Amino acid sequence: MSLPPVANPKHDVKVPDVDPEEKWRPYREPLAPGEHPHRPPEGYKILGTRVPLVDGPLKVSGQGVYADDLFLPHMLHAKLLHATHPHARIRAIDVSAAKRLPGVVDVLTGLELGTGHRFGVLPLTKDEEPLAAEKVRYIGDLVAIVAAEDEWTAKEAVRLIRVDYEDLPAVLKPMDGLKPSADKIHPDIGIDETNVQKYVDQEFGDVEAALRKAEYTIRRKWKFQGVTHGFTEPHAVVAHYTAKDRLVLWSATQVPHYVHRALAEVTGLPPHRIQVIRPQVGGGFGGKSDPFPHEMAAALLAMRTRRPVKLLFDRDESFYSGRGRHPTENEFAIALDRDGTLRAMDIEAVIDGGAFASFGIISTYYNGVLSMGPYKVPAFRYKGRRVYTNHIPSGAMRGHGAVNSRCTLEVLLDEAAEELGLDPFAVRLRNLMPAYSHTINDFRITSNGLRECLETVRAASKWDERWRRLPLGQGLGLGCGFYISGSNLPIHWDIPGMPQSTVHVKIDWDGGVTVHTGAAEIGQGSDTVAAMIVAEVLGIPLDRVRVYSNDSDLAPVDLGSYSSRVTFMMGNAARKAAEEVRRELQRAAADVTGAQPELFVCQDDAVVNQADPGMRVSFLDAVRKAMDHKGALVARGSFNSTKMGGTFKGATAGLAPAYSLNAYVAQVEVDLETAQWRCTKVWAAHDCGKALNRLAVEGQIEGSIHMGLGQVYSESLEYRGANLRNPNLLDYKIPTSLEMPDVEVFIVESNDAEGPFGAKEAGEGPLLPILPAVVNAIHDAVGVRMHELPVTPDRLYEVKERQGGWKKPTLPKASVTVKAGGRHR
Amino acid sequence: MSMLLPPFQVHEPSTIEDAVRLKAQQPESDWIAGGTDLLPNYKWMLNTRPHVISLHRVGALREITPKRIGALATLTQLATHVELRESLPVIAHTAGLIASPLIRNSGTLGGNLLLENRCFFFNQAHLWRESINFCLKASGTQCHVVPQESKCYATFSADLPGPLIALGAEFELAGPKGTRRIAASKFYKNDGIDRHEKRPDELLTFVHLAADASKWRASYQKLRQRDSWDFPELGIAVALKMEGEKLGEARIVANALECAPKDVSHLADSYRGKPLNERAIDEIAAAVEQNVRPVKNTNLSPSYRKKMARVFAKRALLEARGGGVRLNGARA
Amino acid sequence: MSRARILRLDVNGVERSVAVEPQAILLDVLRNDLRLTGTKRGCDMGTCGCCTVNIDGEARLSCLTLAAQAEGKRVTTIESLGTPTNLHPIQKAYSDVGGSQCGFCTPGFIMATNALLVKNPDPSMAQIKEALSGNLCRCTGYIKIIQAVQVAARELAPPQRPAVAVAPRRPRP
Repeated sequence: MSLPPVANPKHDVKVPDVDPEEKWRPYREPLAPGEHPHRPPEGYKILGTRVPLVDGPLKVSGQGVYADDLFLPHMLHAKLLHATHPHARIRAIDVSAAKRLPGVVDVLTGLELGTGHRFGVLPLTKDEEPLAAEKVRYIGDLVAIVAAEDEWTAKEAVRLIRVDYEDLPAVLKPMDGLKPSADKIHPDIGIDETNVQKYVDQEFGDVEAALRKAEYTIRRKWKFQGVTHGFTEPHAVVAHYTAKDRLVLWSATQVPHYVHRALAEVTGLPPHRIQVIRPQVGGGFGGKSDPFPHEMAAALLAMRTRRPVKLLFDRDESFYSGRGRHPTENEFAIALDRDGTLRAMDIEAVIDGGAFASFGIISTYYNGVLSMGPYKVPAFRYKGRRVYTNHIPSGAMRGHGAVNSRCTLEVLLDEAAEELGLDPFAVRLRNLMPAYSHTINDFRITSNGLRECLETVRAASKWDERWRRLPLGQGLGLGCGFYISGSNLPIHWDIPGMPQSTVHVKIDWDGGVTVHTGAAEIGQGSDTVAAMIVAEVLGIPLDRVRVYSNDSDLAPVDLGSYSSRVTFMMGNAARKAAEEVRRELQRAAADVTGAQPELFVCQDDAVVNQADPGMRVSFLDAVRKAMDHKGALVARGSFNSTKMGGTFKGATAGLAPAYSLNAYVAQVEVDLETAQWRCTKVWAAHDCGKALNRLAVEGQIEGSIHMGLGQVYSESLEYRGANLRNPNLLDYKIPTSLEMPDVEVFIVESNDAEGPFGAKEAGEGPLLPILPAVVNAIHDAVGVRMHELPVTPDRLYEVKERQGGWKKPTLPKASVTVKAGGRHR
Repeated sequence: MSMLLPPFQVHEPSTIEDAVRLKAQQPESDWIAGGTDLLPNYKWMLNTRPHVISLHRVGALREITPKRIGALATLTQLATHVELRESLPVIAHTAGLIASPLIRNSGTLGGNLLLENRCFFFNQAHLWRESINFCLKASGTQCHVVPQESKCYATFSADLPGPLIALGAEFELAGPKGTRRIAASKFYKNDGIDRHEKRPDELLTFVHLAADASKWRASYQKLRQRDSWDFPELGIAVALKMEGEKLGEARIVANALECAPKDVSHLADSYRGKPLNERAIDEIAAAVEQNVRPVKNTNLSPSYRKKMARVFAKRALLEARGGGVRLNGARA
Repeated sequence: MSRARILRLDVNGVERSVAVEPQAILLDVLRNDLRLTGTKRGCDMGTCGCCTVNIDGEARLSCLTLAAQAEGKRVTTIESLGTPTNLHPIQKAYSDVGGSQCGFCTPGFIMATNALLVKNPDPSMAQIKEALSGNLCRCTGYIKIIQAVQVAARELAPPQRPAVAVAPRRPRP
């Protein structure tokens, strides 16, 4: 891609002398199967089984309360005015007609609000405002908010607001964002006179040398359209500034803690006078993991009107809210020995950040650095650029930054394998990172079940008999994945000692166990797994446990449901809290019986002497004894990641306490006349460390496959000029039940040493492999290599025509002459 | 209470005569049957009217027989009607291909025949259209597909007209001056705004099928991305009368490629009386491709849709030659 | 409000009278006027299925139904099937099998399932997929939803129990 260098590079990272063999040397042995420091003495009763979600009965009877189901007395309905210009100064706003409309109670504009209310999910890039104060930056940007007695009146009032815009040049092609601009989208953010918001330049080892002397190299460019989360619940918020001068905000959010922080900054209220309540959330996937302008605007309006304000997005507004996967153009080159050993990786990526930074700093890193695993990479170079454009802001969508780059890499490995005459499985197996080792950029790999994943899907799909052997039009493809299980470093460093997750457990005379956690239940089952962990440690039935995770007044901070951190971090915190209770119960049983506390274990709703099982105190009795003269038991557990990683700039981006890994084989069928295709079957092996709730893990894998398949099959945020052409669920095509393949799920458990009971993650990682597996399967079916997503039939047809037709690829034999020391391409 | 539509009055006649009379009294009105086309457009402020005349009480319009189908027959009813599946399977089959099962439960024959043409500059919320200064079809003066000010290129997006035209159906219209019938093949006009011959004060009441309609071997092939919800990227309807191996008569309709269904039956004229073999079918299909001009206002590229017109015409001809659409019991 | 009319609706077996504007949409009347919030507004345009209710036993999109057109018909919503402590077999199946994750699409799917199983108590896999192809789910990938329907169908196997919980019609006190 030949990215132009950055004008004033301050943060280039060059680590030329790195010893890959040293890094890859395992620093410890994996745990023996079945053994884990957290494992209860009598084995698992609940963890590892299939547990229906604890809030299931509420949801299936329609009694779950989502934000739009809230009705407060005297409530107002709010609607937003969105910008209709992609980049423009706001000269004037006339709200007089809107204010005069009967039923309108208040109108607030960004112009009136002024600057000085900036916020943003990452502390370094607070470039968002509740409402655009001076200029608008994309069609859909927030300009004003109206509160009225009913929704229609609010909508009518919005239509009566007149805005006088002065157009500025709009940046609509990401590559144009690399050029210097006299009208930067964010004049005071960014690194130079261009619209580049973040750049990453890293090199470990000597990539040029490796490429030069490689036996074989291959380089490909890819283009990915933006995609969006498509959750069925549109954004919704209710804000109320109560008679007690407290701001209460109910919001469909994955990150109540970040919303809380932002509200304090924006409103000026001290944090203790703000309460963030998360109702039932109808899906997040990273689209509800920022504090949002509309949340801030609703809060401000509630403070002005002194009445509760409800704001429900129309579906197109959820599209405009954005934070979807960055439209990406990337170019990968890899160098290999002719036996498939990886020698170097060279990555360039430009990602279209749209109008705001969001999680963009991290996205920029992830688009490169997460290709450092799961294969041994001895030399690595990455140039990444995130540009501001006047498009809808991109953010962190499931698989954040790793999905597109993983697709490029895995397809590249498939192409390389083909030219070298190797089987794609062989190439992966040749390069696997050992468990408990390091990458050359100091990512710490812990448990690694990729080998087992590969072997499982290879056997299950009958790969050896069928790959390259199915009739023209049918094909199999392999794809692998590697993803973080939580980010090692939190994004806020202002409270250096604050744990990433804290869980409180309270038990009172009734023997009911209350678990308080800030972890956001968004349908993935975090409440359920919290209950399961506590029940397991305390040896009690699940129905004793109730989880309260909605209310910031009651729940200790958890950083939120994003970056696949909840099972790992909240799970460990919950375990520790429960273990503290367990110690209390052991002491109580000792007090009752006279035996030593260490002899007691918690099982079967009792505290039992392992050495003399007839000696037992019921759970309830033990609780009540522990309460003697003290009252209700309270315990606290918290989690913070271990300090690790390199010391260079950006070393922590991509650093995780553990990584999930996976391998999928996908089968596709292509209609040879029309180029329409279907994915008919997926064999999916995912190493999640340990499946704490097997039902939920399966659900995440199946749902991830659906979402990733959508990105290959039909989902695409299409722009026509400055407008998103398809901000609706008809033209943004999410696959229906008729498009979904059969899926065989294989849960691989590599038993992570630090994960709670061995668990890592299953929320995002399972999405990565489906893209390359399908793209590679299309090649196996019809001999067409797509380098652009989505693979719609018209595009596939067009590439086929350019190539001169379909062609079933043949079994591996080297199709390139490889000379030692020679560079192939 | 919350209301999310522009205010309008709803009238609920119970007979065709009442309906026509109400329409004459309220010229600024729209008919609504199932509402699955009108209501989304109203929610997006597309050419709304202050009065809506709902037909849901006009029981006479629910009739379904192989000779006469009322405009209020739902798409689900058409897809599952035992007699219709038996004698006019292509109609039942086509109805079952439309939209999604939930929409089919509400959507009607009349609604589909009079479906508003679609374009991605038109089918957008108010804010979006304001940002492009609206368009010729709604509150604006320019077409954005083919920039000029005189013709609208919104694409015809309904499926049922395809096979109905191929079967020689007639549409009955009831107006203040009485009823009249128009051949389906003459009903539509190739313009995104002025789409058909029905006058504003008329109600489309029935579709009439000729006595010999069930003798034609017919097929309808639809191209769309997802197997539910999606509007046609194209549809080819074919109806054949065969004389042994030889072609007797052919009707071919290239649907959803332009602003109206396009009757291209003449492309088979020179094959009448000759064996309708694979080569003949290929040639006819190739001619269909040459005769359509889709524009860029649907999801797939116009050049692809054009090429697929040939593929789908061939499929339709082959299926029709082989006896036409066969419905097994599986499709609900 | 001078244009308001009184609409008499039969909702979940109970006659309800609401004062609504003529253009009122059934979904909004259910949620805002009758506070039956189990039926969800996901897109308001018929493109997601979250608003699915049953009207005279048929699965229908309440966001695209004029409330006036629902008069004189039996409207049933998710609330009619069961409560958290007394779940209908379809609800129990969805909950037990993992057919519901975030739960937002769930009421719509369950009402579509209800209508399907009344009409076709022993549907094939293809028939299930077809019947549910008007409902979007973003969490499950549909796999456990389809399993839930199969489990519910076996549970409800005729002849003993009708799929629709029909409460006796009674006027509201």
